[in-house]
Amino acid sequence: MKTPHVDVRNLKLVYKTGPQTELAAIDEVSFSIGKGETLGIVGESGCGKSSLARAFLGYTRPGARIAGGALVVGGVDVFALTGEALRRYRGGRAAMVPQNPLSALTPHRTIGQHMVELIRIHNAAGNISPTQKALDLLAAMELPDPSAIFARYPHQLSGGQRQRVVIAAALVAEPELIVLDEPTTALDKTVETQVLDLVSRLQKRTNTTLIYVSHDLNVVARMCDGVLVMQHGKVLEDGPTKEVFNAPKTEYARTLIAAIPKLRTGTRPEPVRLATAAPILSIRDLDFSYGGKRSRFIPRFFAAPPARQTLKDISLSIAAGSTLGVVGESGSGKSTLASLVAGLVGGNGGRIMFDGKPLSGLAGGRGRDLRRRVQLIFQDPASSLNPQHTVEQIIARPLQVFFGMTRAASRDRVVQLLDELDLDATLLTRSPRQLSGGQQQRVAIARAFACEPDLVLCDEVTSALDVTVQAQVLQQMKRLQREHNTAYLFISHDLPVVAEMSDQMLVLEAGEIRDYADTGTILTNPNSAYTKNLLAAFASATAHSTKRTFQNVS
Amino acid sequence: MADIPVSTPLRRSLGWLRSRRLRRALSEPATLMGLILVVAHLLLALLAPLLAPYDTSALVGAPLQHPSWEFLMGTDQIGRDYFSRIIAGGRIALMVSFLGIAIAVVSGTVLGIIAGYIGGRTDEIIMRIVDAMMAIPDLILIAILILALGTGPGALIPVVAVVYTWGVVRVIRAKTISLSTLDFVRSAELRGETRLAVMVREILPNLIGLLGVELAVRVSSAVLRISALSFLGLGISQPTPDWGLMVQEAMGVIFTDPWFLLLPAIMLSSLIIGVNFMVDGLSRAFGITTAELG
Repeated sequence: MKTPHVDVRNLKLVYKTGPQTELAAIDEVSFSIGKGETLGIVGESGCGKSSLARAFLGYTRPGARIAGGALVVGGVDVFALTGEALRRYRGGRAAMVPQNPLSALTPHRTIGQHMVELIRIHNAAGNISPTQKALDLLAAMELPDPSAIFARYPHQLSGGQRQRVVIAAALVAEPELIVLDEPTTALDKTVETQVLDLVSRLQKRTNTTLIYVSHDLNVVARMCDGVLVMQHGKVLEDGPTKEVFNAPKTEYARTLIAAIPKLRTGTRPEPVRLATAAPILSIRDLDFSYGGKRSRFIPRFFAAPPARQTLKDISLSIAAGSTLGVVGESGSGKSTLASLVAGLVGGNGGRIMFDGKPLSGLAGGRGRDLRRRVQLIFQDPASSLNPQHTVEQIIARPLQVFFGMTRAASRDRVVQLLDELDLDATLLTRSPRQLSGGQQQRVAIARAFACEPDLVLCDEVTSALDVTVQAQVLQQMKRLQREHNTAYLFISHDLPVVAEMSDQMLVLEAGEIRDYADTGTILTNPNSAYTKNLLAAFASATAHSTKRTFQNVS
Repeated sequence: MADIPVSTPLRRSLGWLRSRRLRRALSEPATLMGLILVVAHLLLALLAPLLAPYDTSALVGAPLQHPSWEFLMGTDQIGRDYFSRIIAGGRIALMVSFLGIAIAVVSGTVLGIIAGYIGGRTDEIIMRIVDAMMAIPDLILIAILILALGTGPGALIPVVAVVYTWGVVRVIRAKTISLSTLDFVRSAELRGETRLAVMVREILPNLIGLLGVELAVRVSSAVLRISALSFLGLGISQPTPDWGLMVQEAMGVIFTDPWFLLLPAIMLSSLIIGVNFMVDGLSRAFGITTAELG
């Protein structure tokens, strides 16, 4: 048994919550990692994983302090470091790849300036110029045209390119430990796959120890030798990835792993509803472009921005009570599609028919009945629920608007709706910020169902939620669909989730339909190369790691 | 099991007085000092007639006496009790400022929400008027208004209202625009709510904190402005006691009896500093950034 490279013993980190009270965000955590190994730290929001990630660099958030324990990296006691030694350690021996590269890069400085400064600080250039070293690193990140990237500002790069740049920045001094905090959460799946592949290739070459902090169990399963499952600041499971994923010991880990959306390509029940039911929504040759309009007050010498085609020749139909899933990566036009049907934007070409009636223009111009029957659920409940209203006010409003209920009459109905979503009536007087993310989104769903809609447009409704909460919310949505015979247009970038929910699926890329068929057909026999790629990206992410065996040193 | 129950007890209606944020804000010495200064000034202004030993305009002794037990702060150039005049010196300015600013905040909020939410041509028209009004130097605008309305407290209220409305419009419009991008506004529009309902029901409640800050900051600024006007002879006139006026009267004896200048100046600055400290601490605690204050 070799000595562990990273050794954490009884680490305790507390947050000050009041003059005398403290809350342990990390509670007596012990584990170790061997040199060159990869450890994944998983858990849901608030479990302490980000605080732990920071601790590896000897950093605590304001209000937090290390209350005990030790953290040793390559023989160095991190918490004993101060001043210059700590500064040398950070970036020199251990580096961090932040979650949001855009906020980690200073907007007014070019990528080159960022890189060269780091290289100078760490004297990392050796016998070549810092600029050359920076270019080499960018090239090693497989960025196209490193010298062009070098001269660019952060906002001029795509999300995947930015992520590669911050990884390059972490590699400057060839640290022995790199902590990646949710490194690919903001990226599209196909880009995520590329970035992760790149990181594991680099790791093989340099024998760096990696720590992945992520809520995305697929990423961890794929990249890590060992995995640490955390809840409420405690380690519940610690073992080789395969073991933890295949035979979790604790109930919590079992729930967590069961909740991972998986691509099931097996046979599914024939969607019988499709054949019999008339389409509730049908779209023919839908075209839509943003921009191209000129403001009346902007002087003529500013040219109008060129029109950008967002959706091209979209035709689809949804049978009453069924679900059409729409998958696509960012910029594919999937949200625009929902906005058009909902009436948030207007001015499209083609025809949208709802239950035999044309559905066009903005929602305000449609009849009250149409506005009631088509509902939209937004991605981010923190934004879609008015922070100054109570849960009761939020859900009761559509009842008052569409059914003319009085406040007293709406109360019972609101309680009933909350109950349908397994929410307690005590939440009535709460404001949204007093609810958890899952509760917030369920309130938003209750508000949509208060209208007794025939079609609900779901735009990334579970993307902001933890996996176990996501699984719960999806189950509830399915139940509501059965009970109320509601049709869903279910939009997400997350292919397994869409596959789970949908009778039929539609794959969008750059505003055009790449595939449109029954879910089973799409999963087993996709038409387009794009869909095949997308499926492959998700399939490889779902497959469990078969890498070197994890060595649990303890 | 996945949803972490929220244990925060309900304290919406029972008020912010007991809230943790307020307590945290008041644990900062500067904020606490600011609050004490503001409360002391308000009490003094309210209770001045009860506390004053003499009538503020009565000639009660020889001019320019030094402080004594009979006259706590001495007497002024014509023999009025200075202490009685000092404690009453903020009453008129505070009242005029408060009423004027209240009108400015209400009208500025109405215009700001309309400009920010409706947008388009309505926004352009409102904002160009605002730009035009703000382009006129304040003192010239005030002089014109005073020429039209005359002097005296009754005329100063609309003057304050007109001068301060435009800044409020800009702040409220900016905040309204950022609120309008949020999905709860989209959701209301999809329900077919009228524009008025969206503005009053969805947007206005989210502006309350900002409006409180606006009111406090601008009242303190208006008090200073009115004192300056009184100093110039355009504001409050004799024999009403007013700090700005008293500073002006003290100019003649500044080298022989400097406290005549210092006392009203200290009163004025302690009020302004108090309001600024208080607002600074409270807005920080309640998450209103200074950028929003324009």
